[in-house]
Amino acid sequence: MKKEINLNVNGTVSRVTADPEQSLLWVLRDVLKLTGTKFGCGEGACGACSVLIDGEVYRSCTVASSDVAGGEKIVTIEGLGSPGNLSKLQAAFMEHTAFGCGYCTPGMIVTATALLGANPSPSTEEIVSAMNDNLCRCASYPNIIEAIKDVAASPEKPGS
Amino acid sequence: MPFSRRTFLELIGGGLAYAFNFSCSGDGANGELTSFSIEELESGIDLRHQGYTEWLVLGRDGSVTAHTGRTELGQGLKTVLSDIISQALEVPPERLNLVMGDTSNCPDDGPTTGSAATRNVGWGYWIACSRIREDLIRRAAFVLRRPAKKLIYEAGEIVDSNDASRRIAIGDLADGTVRVATIDPNGRHRPNRLYVDKGSLAANAEAIVTGTLTYAGDLFPGDSQYGAFLCPPYFYQLTKIESVDLDAARQIHGVHLAEKASRNAWAIADDFPTAHRALDAMNATWHVPDRPRTVDVEQEIRAGAALVKTMEDHGDPSAALASSPLVLAETYVTQYASQVPIETETAVARFENDKVTVWASTQSPFKSRASVATRLKISEGQVRIIGMPVGGGFGVKDNPQAAADAAVMAKKSDGTVKCVFSRERQFAGRGRFKEAVVIDISSGLGPDRKIAARTIDIYQDEGFGTTDTYEVPNVLTRLYDTKMPVRHGVMRGTSFVQSGFAMESHTDMLAEVAGLDPVEFRRRNVATPAFIPLLDACAEMIDYEPARSQQNRGTGFAICMHGGRQLGAAAVEVSVNTATGEIHIERLCGAYDIGTVININTLTANTKGAMMWGLGYALFEEVRADGHRAFTRSLEDYRIPRFSDLPPLEIVFLNNAVKGQSPRGCGELPVVPTVSAICNAIYRAIGVRFYTLPLTPERVLAALAANR
Repeated sequence: MKKEINLNVNGTVSRVTADPEQSLLWVLRDVLKLTGTKFGCGEGACGACSVLIDGEVYRSCTVASSDVAGGEKIVTIEGLGSPGNLSKLQAAFMEHTAFGCGYCTPGMIVTATALLGANPSPSTEEIVSAMNDNLCRCASYPNIIEAIKDVAASPEKPGS
Repeated sequence: MPFSRRTFLELIGGGLAYAFNFSCSGDGANGELTSFSIEELESGIDLRHQGYTEWLVLGRDGSVTAHTGRTELGQGLKTVLSDIISQALEVPPERLNLVMGDTSNCPDDGPTTGSAATRNVGWGYWIACSRIREDLIRRAAFVLRRPAKKLIYEAGEIVDSNDASRRIAIGDLADGTVRVATIDPNGRHRPNRLYVDKGSLAANAEAIVTGTLTYAGDLFPGDSQYGAFLCPPYFYQLTKIESVDLDAARQIHGVHLAEKASRNAWAIADDFPTAHRALDAMNATWHVPDRPRTVDVEQEIRAGAALVKTMEDHGDPSAALASSPLVLAETYVTQYASQVPIETETAVARFENDKVTVWASTQSPFKSRASVATRLKISEGQVRIIGMPVGGGFGVKDNPQAAADAAVMAKKSDGTVKCVFSRERQFAGRGRFKEAVVIDISSGLGPDRKIAARTIDIYQDEGFGTTDTYEVPNVLTRLYDTKMPVRHGVMRGTSFVQSGFAMESHTDMLAEVAGLDPVEFRRRNVATPAFIPLLDACAEMIDYEPARSQQNRGTGFAICMHGGRQLGAAAVEVSVNTATGEIHIERLCGAYDIGTVININTLTANTKGAMMWGLGYALFEEVRADGHRAFTRSLEDYRIPRFSDLPPLEIVFLNNAVKGQSPRGCGELPVVPTVSAICNAIYRAIGVRFYTLPLTPERVLAALAANR
């Protein structure tokens, strides 16, 4: 049965009507119309649906929406930047052509954002380990690693 | 909705239209333009039926719009076309529009497959645009009353070289007429100007990194229903539904429709999870396939095989083999593999007034249109396919079933129906795998240690990859079809991959029989000297020293030819853990002769990706199946390359920016030599030759044990 729940997504609290058992992925996509978060497998195996919940990466296809209706801060790719106002990682992914078809890219950028949030200057091994559960069938892996390193190497602006 | 002459006239809209036939017949057609007036077109000339299937419209405002029925798959076609046309006509990218993949306002210029779009459509436009420039200069000469040879084409204007105040913008030359020409993109004719890669960013880059690129599944959020068909437990061609509880599905809150079709059943619901819950609730039972299960793929392929064609037959191979002092006869067998795009097949369909519009993730909008029309028993004129950006296709979306599935369900529903394949349905619902192939190959060496004779028997349905990359005076190559129960699908690299694995593994074994270093043996035997700089480049990249030997560590090479004109070579260094059977790729290098590079950014990303495809196919990709069903039904069952599989990669492109070199495409080529170079490196490392793939640790350990 559907009921009303509150979701804090990209800094805005929305009251949505949704099946609380339903995965966050489909609530984001169809109720909140945030379609940057992608369906890839529905079993938490590909990472295309990655979102941040209180700064940590989760597979939104395996998170029940009711489990994050208590004020948890959910951030999707749309919350990281937008055309003309890119985050550093988004700009670096662009610059390095760190994608082929681009379908897995939102999940990659979300996961890399969490990595750099926890570890601002990761080694290559740490990048591989943090990103390893995100799959890219175009295998843009080398360019993704370069893009992340580029941001990791650049000095952080105060407050950013 | 069907494309009509009227549509074309509307597209021209008072501008100036050019329609080209990019004839890839090798006839060297070089594009003399013929004019048609609007009146002539209205009187019934249909340009499409005459093969003029590439359209470019110059608008009165100076904008340029190109129409292609092909789609962007992530291979960079949109980037390539944008780079080529904007450079050729000196129009800034923001004034260039690309209309792609819409059957109602694009011509059918073929499917988006086989690395062909860059070399045929892209380079066709490069040549065509030089014709357009000449044509515009001739028109300007008439308007400006100046001799054509005094006029130059400059940044979208025609300017008098003696008097720069005399100029006219190209948009002002648009007069509502149509000019047509036939051009052979692969012919000898070359424009005078040299294409210069400016390294522009991929066309959709900003939309991709912000998650705002609209794929088919992203359309109409909150305003569509989700429809899904059951995924049969068996291959769908071999089974049909026997019983189904539709009422149980209909009782689920949020389910709108649950119906049985002739062979399958489906449900439409508010959302994706509910539609799939409805399918589960149906408790369907299925007809068990009548055929016996497959016990051994090789045996089954051989049992059903029938000779299709003799591909090559010259000299007297049987006599030459009989008299050869050194003959090597081998058999190679490959596995089933799956394309695994991260975006599963997706389409959205809407019926209005007996006509259906399908927004689809498809590599071939026109094939999809035919499939939808056939499945719904309506005319193609009642179907419009709008090709959306494809979230990975790799062959499986050449004619995706989701398009017709969505249309079938939309017809029974009164709204918009979105069909997103579950991962299980993507893997196991269609069985369109890369086919398992058997290759028998016997070669005999002459006294000069060159290949004197060979016979090759290839058992596969696809028919690619039968051309020898070596110069052999006596050859018989025969192709057999396999009559396997499950129709194979197209997968990146097609059967060049399976043939390349067999041929280049065999070549290394021949080198050993000949007592020659594998690189040296190839140098002596290659069919064209163009391979030699590629081999040299690879040897240099990987610091090759023939005599060097380290325990459980080795370097391997391979070459390949794809599509006749793309040449490549790979060098791989591996180490093998003989206790665990694990193979570690230390380095992976590739050298490719693919002509002029259009965009190094998308090319490099694609090429490295294709090398990783070779790695995955060689080491772990495999669909397990028994002739009734696929056991591989989720990503947990099928490993694709991931970050931790990435070795240091090095690539080089030879013959780039050499005048007269057309681009030849590189989307598939690098897959092929990577596979066999890995196998050859493993042989150097541990002395074990593998005749089947993939090289899982279990298989490596078993082979090591057998070798002891």
